Amino acid sequence: MPNVILETKKLSFLNNIHYQDIQILKDKVNFIVGSSGAGKSTLLRLFNGMLTPSGGEIFYNGQRLTQIDTIELRKEISLISQSVYLFDSSIRDNFRQFYEYRGMEVPSEEYMSKFLRMCQIQFPFDKDCTTMSGGERQRVYTAIFLSFLPKVIMLDEPTSALDKENSKKVIQNIVDFCKEKEISIIIVSHDNQIVDTFAENIIRIGEEGDNE
Amino acid sequence: MNSIIKLNIMQFSLIYLLLIIILAIMKKSKINQMKFLIVASLRMTVQLVLAGFILTYVFKKPHPLFVILYLIAMIIFSIGRVLSKNREINRNFKIAISLSLALSGLFILAYFVLVVVGESFFNPQYTIPLAGMIIGNSMTGVTLGMKTFTENLKSQRNRIDALLNLGVEPKKILLPFVNSALETALLPTMNNMIGMGIISLPGMMTGQILSGTEPTTAIMYQIAIMIAICTSVCLTVFCALNFGYRTLYNERNQIHF
Repeated sequence: MPNVILETKKLSFLNNIHYQDIQILKDKVNFIVGSSGAGKSTLLRLFNGMLTPSGGEIFYNGQRLTQIDTIELRKEISLISQSVYLFDSSIRDNFRQFYEYRGMEVPSEEYMSKFLRMCQIQFPFDKDCTTMSGGERQRVYTAIFLSFLPKVIMLDEPTSALDKENSKKVIQNIVDFCKEKEISIIIVSHDNQIVDTFAENIIRIGEEGDNE
Repeated sequence: MNSIIKLNIMQFSLIYLLLIIILAIMKKSKINQMKFLIVASLRMTVQLVLAGFILTYVFKKPHPLFVILYLIAMIIFSIGRVLSKNREINRNFKIAISLSLALSGLFILAYFVLVVVGESFFNPQYTIPLAGMIIGNSMTGVTLGMKTFTENLKSQRNRIDALLNLGVEPKKILLPFVNSALETALLPTMNNMIGMGIISLPGMMTGQILSGTEPTTAIMYQIAIMIAICTSVCLTVFCALNFGYRTLYNERNQIHF
């Protein structure tokens, strides 16, 4: 019997997205696939309480999501969305600002560089984030979010701005790290090659509708 | 001191000739606001003439009720102006703005008239013009503050989402927006204070000197009103935004604007 960390029952959003019952497996690499507009990103935002379902239930570790404080929930279930935000300053300062917002000590350079390397970023800490490419910014952003060590990491199209070579390396590094730290992964992706290589659980959304 | 030369209608109409200069410049520079200038001048004329008649009547027969009615009209008008520029904000935010504007303005006005001048609050000669300056400037301040606040929220949607996704409390996310909007709203009033007396002889002081008041008295009133205006702007914008931003998120820590 696989260990389920997130589960949905008759979940719907705004009466136009109806999800089949979904199970996200603990400590596994879960992929969510489906045509655009099927509600993949919406599902991630329902999981971390950024959106409220209009019908049905979500359970996190067996507990109703509505009974969990959303701030604590988002610290455990971290969503790395497609719309990247970095402060207009250096990599170091971005770490500092995000950690201050979370009310935490700024980590050591050694700690930061571990996550930057994991995401294939080889710039010095003083590198200005405003001069980076979209793909580089996405990876710095991912590194910062990973460094907070959530229990579940949700990546929305993590490779959309990366070339194939980089995509595979970054995902491989993240998967290895999460396996080691027992972090569950949910990835929304259109990239079949990535899905085929890494998926341990594939959830297809909106495909029943397509067959009708 | 000489008392002021009363303008007769002919003399007074001569000032309107200056508008021709503006119209000529607008025409030459292809600024398509000639109609607006005419409407604005006409509205100002009609509104001030009406105000003149009402004030003449109120000063002749001072009654607390007139003062109260005048203040209520002023407050309602200023709230209407601010809200008309912020139609898309939620109902509770609108209430926060309205109450802040009304209560901060009245508090500063009462302090000025009752404590500093030591006059009755219902003496229209003091209360009405001072209220106009205090509430009018607070209205401009809160409009500017709200404009900055909402524009920044909209342009920084990604920042807000990123921090929410990271598990940061909405309060911590929104407060920097509140503070920078307050700063922006205060700057014009403070800049005005910096240049005062050198670059400009301010309106109220000019008016008093024209009507024969000793310049030293006029200066004291001007300094007093400037500090009162600055405080009222600060208090109004601070309260409006600090009570207002709390209406932007719910108990599920979702931010809507």
